[in-house]
Amino acid sequence: MRLTRPKPLGLGLGLRNVHFGHILSEWPAVDWFEAISENFMDSGGYPRHVLNRVAERYPIMLHGVSMSIGSTDPLNLPYLRQLKRLADEIKPAGISDHLCWTGVLGLNSHDLLPLPLTEESLAHVTRRVRQVQDILERPLILENPSAYVHFAHSTIAEPDFLRRLSDETGCLLLLDVNNVYVTCFNMGTDPLAYLDAFPCERVVQMHIAGHQHCGTHIVDTHDRPVRADVWELYRIARARTGDVSTLLEWDGNIPPFAECHAEVRKANQAIVADRPDPAPDSGVSNPVDFMVPQVMDSTVLANA
Amino acid sequence: MTGLRDIQMWMQDALRFLADAESGRFLAATARLSASAGLAIYQRSYFQRIVSCMREQFPALCHALGPSLFDDFVAEYIRDMPPESHTLYDLGRRFAGYLDQTRPDKDAPEVWIDFMIDLAHYERQLFVLFDAPGQEGQRFATADTPDSALRLQACFALGAYRFPVAEYYHAVRAKSAPALPPATPSHVAMVRTAFLTHTMPLTETHYLFLSTLRDGHDADHAIATVARDVGIPPNDVRRSWHSPGGMRQRWIDAGFFIEHHG
Ligand SMILES: [Fe+2]
Repeated sequence: MRLTRPKPLGLGLGLRNVHFGHILSEWPAVDWFEAISENFMDSGGYPRHVLNRVAERYPIMLHGVSMSIGSTDPLNLPYLRQLKRLADEIKPAGISDHLCWTGVLGLNSHDLLPLPLTEESLAHVTRRVRQVQDILERPLILENPSAYVHFAHSTIAEPDFLRRLSDETGCLLLLDVNNVYVTCFNMGTDPLAYLDAFPCERVVQMHIAGHQHCGTHIVDTHDRPVRADVWELYRIARARTGDVSTLLEWDGNIPPFAECHAEVRKANQAIVADRPDPAPDSGVSNPVDFMVPQVMDSTVLANA
Repeated sequence: MTGLRDIQMWMQDALRFLADAESGRFLAATARLSASAGLAIYQRSYFQRIVSCMREQFPALCHALGPSLFDDFVAEYIRDMPPESHTLYDLGRRFAGYLDQTRPDKDAPEVWIDFMIDLAHYERQLFVLFDAPGQEGQRFATADTPDSALRLQACFALGAYRFPVAEYYHAVRAKSAPALPPATPSHVAMVRTAFLTHTMPLTETHYLFLSTLRDGHDADHAIATVARDVGIPPNDVRRSWHSPGGMRQRWIDAGFFIEHHG
């Protein structure tokens, strides 16, 4: 695998349908956009029209949620071919997905489910990353997911798992510092120790996002501003990764574009306004944007 | 030793059937979360994510049933027909059929269940048309296009229902809290132009005409079919097709047709 590292793109935002109108009319000065691959790969309608137009003006990263790289089902080849076709058309700066599995027996939970981190899993995922990279003809970028459970027989720490995976396959890494924070809090481990062990030299992109603190644990909701502790972790991580593309994920209660844009720009100075969470323990893990188009807004009833 | 396959089969079942038996066999408590509390976050998120997507794909049906009954139907649906596709857009594909197959009133059909099923079909059709490949940016037929070159455009569908589901849907859209309508057959054409999907009510005769075109026949064939099946003299059908402001002109203006060459 030829090692092509995507160039740093600056500060980006997720391409979200509630912002489509604003983006196409204002062409805001955001550095780049991340598009959820699955929201566009089958689309022949308005979402795809928007992505095509946005891709003419901004760098794009394709971020997937259904590759299921860790599943023990066979790789979904039609999916990968469709992803490749989308990439051939959009020409993204990179293609990422998560170190996770989404289902077995042909099902898709539409969640990013954690893997037990064992030698067996590492060998399995290593094989599959190689296959995927052969099909996509580029290095895959893999992200650390947020987690709520610990598998009893895991034997490898996540940073080590990703380091070895990256060494073996040449894949690149997306370091989600909010996920580091969430997972480490929920596991009762130290996020700084996680960063110390993480192969920061392999990181080409970072994610930041807001989460819901429920007291006993944290749920990765992506529905509010980034918290102070996560900005601090970002600052520390960024010192180790060097200049890499940074993306704010905001997937629930999405505010107007300008507010998202202002939030991601805080990455430049790590200015922080931390707020208490109103309703503890109601959080639903929302690790990615499962965009549902606003069909009702684009239909009319004509006269007979 | 526990294999990766076993763990994934167990965890998927735990999400789908809300079971946490054996969680202790696979999961260890963390400093913050017991095994079953951690698992419960995945279980809740799995269901909530699908329910909220289904509510967005079937907003009028959700309005008609009320969110809690709607959620119950969705819970049964995904238990029997769990999501298989890489895309959530596929989630609602089998829902109307599922409601039809599993209707609880098989012995004594209830009219409101017929309505729910028809509404679900209509909403799914709108959803499909929203994202289907369309004709935007391409040339449409004009008044000068000969009949032999008229073809229905790609983003076009016909619907025949036992209720005025399109009116109901758009009343929900207008937030006018419509009541369940009485059974009245309705026929519609749905067409997308400039990324806006229009639903046009049709007479049964117009529906028959367009169905004939949709099945790949030309206008002459559609005229003959309508004349035969409805019992109208062919020349009268031809006149209403060609007359100024007639079917042909109105449907060309509405973007039903493209001009086919070759
Ligand atoms: Fe992320």
